[in-house]
Amino acid sequence: MRRDELKAVFILCLAFVTIGGQRFESKVAQLLQDDTEDLKCFVEGKKDLTCFWEEEEERNGSHDQYTFVYSYENENRRTCAISSLSLLATNRTILFCKLPQTLFFTALSLQIFRDGRMLYNRSLNVENVLFVDPPRNLTVVSSRKEGQLNVSWLPPPLKYMEDSLIYEVRYAVEGSHMGKVEVIKANTMLILRGLQAGTRYKVWVRVKPDGVSYKGFWSAWTEPAFGSTPPTDMDPLIVLLVLFIGLIISLLFLTVMLSHHKFLLKKLWPDIPTPEHKFPGLFTVYKGDFKEWMSQSNGSMWGRPVHVFPEELPSPLEVLSEVSLTTPLSSHTTSPRQDRKTMEEEEKMESEVTDSGLTDRWREPPHAHWLMEQLRALQENPESLSQPMLLESHDTYVTLNHNSQCAQGEDEGQEDNIFDESLPLQTLFTNTGKSSLSASHSDLGSLQQSSGSGRLSSQSSFEHPNHTWPPKGPGYAYMAVADSGVSMDYSPMSSNRIADLGKRVIYTNEYKNDIFGHKWPLSGHCIESGY
Amino acid sequence: MQKFSDLVLVLMVFVWLVRDQVSALRPICDLRVLDHFVREAQDSEIIMHGCRVDCGVTKSYFVPMTSVDFAVWEQTDVQEQAAEVQTGLSLLVQALSSARHTVISSPLASTLDNNISNMHSLGQILHSLHLQQAKSSVLPNDSALNSTQIQEISSLPELLRVQSSFLRGKVRLLLSAAPACQKQNG
Repeated sequence: MRRDELKAVFILCLAFVTIGGQRFESKVAQLLQDDTEDLKCFVEGKKDLTCFWEEEEERNGSHDQYTFVYSYENENRRTCAISSLSLLATNRTILFCKLPQTLFFTALSLQIFRDGRMLYNRSLNVENVLFVDPPRNLTVVSSRKEGQLNVSWLPPPLKYMEDSLIYEVRYAVEGSHMGKVEVIKANTMLILRGLQAGTRYKVWVRVKPDGVSYKGFWSAWTEPAFGSTPPTDMDPLIVLLVLFIGLIISLLFLTVMLSHHKFLLKKLWPDIPTPEHKFPGLFTVYKGDFKEWMSQSNGSMWGRPVHVFPEELPSPLEVLSEVSLTTPLSSHTTSPRQDRKTMEEEEKMESEVTDSGLTDRWREPPHAHWLMEQLRALQENPESLSQPMLLESHDTYVTLNHNSQCAQGEDEGQEDNIFDESLPLQTLFTNTGKSSLSASHSDLGSLQQSSGSGRLSSQSSFEHPNHTWPPKGPGYAYMAVADSGVSMDYSPMSSNRIADLGKRVIYTNEYKNDIFGHKWPLSGHCIESGY
Repeated sequence: MQKFSDLVLVLMVFVWLVRDQVSALRPICDLRVLDHFVREAQDSEIIMHGCRVDCGVTKSYFVPMTSVDFAVWEQTDVQEQAAEVQTGLSLLVQALSSARHTVISSPLASTLDNNISNMHSLGQILHSLHLQQAKSSVLPNDSALNSTQIQEISSLPELLRVQSSFLRGKVRLLLSAAPACQKQNG
């Protein structure tokens, strides 16, 4: 047991000596850099005054030529034993002396002699070369407040000197080389403020006499201590204010929405347009049955524009012939006049004809009988076919400028564009002629027998308003069909209404009909081309 | 008659109580006051170092010893420390006053007057600590003081240096270790 105790004591002593030796060497190394005196001295506490100097020349470990003499005020001179120390870090050798007696607040005189000659001479007060150990037990604690850290430490074990020390606290963000320094006097704790929230900091502390009663050197920095600041904490008052303001804004928004919900609903979710208002009762009464609705609808409906059919159904128009009425009709010159009168009477009867479907409601014009007579005349005089037949303006004729318009569509595209809405077919009738648009195929057939390969060319004109209708002179009655694509008007027109006709938008459509199986080109074709 | 005797008795008790209250000064334990005195003593040294004309005459002064051996100081009784400090302050007051009479330079005279006032204030501070019932002595004598505690100097610069060292050393050690101040801090 005794041996074990002795061993423990020895080990502890060795540890303290080792630690003390390390501290001594570090202090010596630091003073070698910081102190400008040739003979450097420092006192670590209330005793142990050490003075050293650097050996200039390397000798074989012998320092007998040196003499260290010291004397306090009003005391005798004494000598101090010299020792040597080799610094491994800097590869230097120093000679030092630890004075056996240390007196504060009095003058101390030092002399170094080498081979009898004074090498160094210095006078100092021991309380002015205090070189204390760094503080102990440095701790960093997170504060409850945002951006703060509590730093505390223990002073070096120096009795009577605690209130004469100042501390320097250095702190920086972990991993950063930029730090700040705070100096505090006679206090062993500090609150760091203005730090970043939720950040880990590194803190160091060192100590030094305040310079009033004691003076000295800065100690070494302590080992760093780490601490983290608390994360950003929302002020409860700010949270409540934000919630309150949000609630008020929500209530205001809700109020606006409720007061203008109809307007907003119309803007955001507009109604799908339906043609229901144009067809009263179609969907509500007749459940969408258009036929039924049509059958039940009254005459007042016909005056309205019909939007159901965007395009007019093609109405086949049978062209009978292009007849020159000058020669072969010489015997009939008087008949147009008679027929005109008849035509006037008949047109009065047809004044109500406004059907959009030409095929359904087409009535045989009163001059159909005249046309039949013309055909018979052709049969009797086939030679007249070899000559171009020109229709006088006063004769009844049907012109369908279907092909020409289509062929010329490119040239006259812009001009004819305004006719696109109109039907390609318009029939103009003069009262003198008795041609019938509704001439049946049987008539053509008869013509076929007579003409053989005759090509009927008819020309109906939907003329541009600029193209005024050649005046046919007074007394001509005719029926004009004007179709703007929206509505069709069938109105018998008297001769005194020629000028009015010119004002209308009339659509020109050339059409050539081959009676031998040549199909009626649909007016829609030209419509398409016109479009 | 009996009433008169009772009244006198009451008055005597009242006077005795009041006297104790008056004598019981609050201890002055703030060392910043002493630090202020120390700085002013150091300023006197600087002024003295810069004085060239009419800076006093050479004469002997008896001043206290200022050296402190902590090993010895810690073994010394507080009352002995107090007595030593009190005596030293007295010696310094006498020396400074003697030197003041020989100084004509205005800055130096002014700072010496300040130092003398500071010495008196320190005496009051020590009195407040109730370290001892020390009485100020005008002249030192061998029977009252230990000779090792007094030294003889011959110049005003030395006097000022001794003043500074004495205040920084023994006076401060005594004030910082005063029992009355220890109770307040604890």
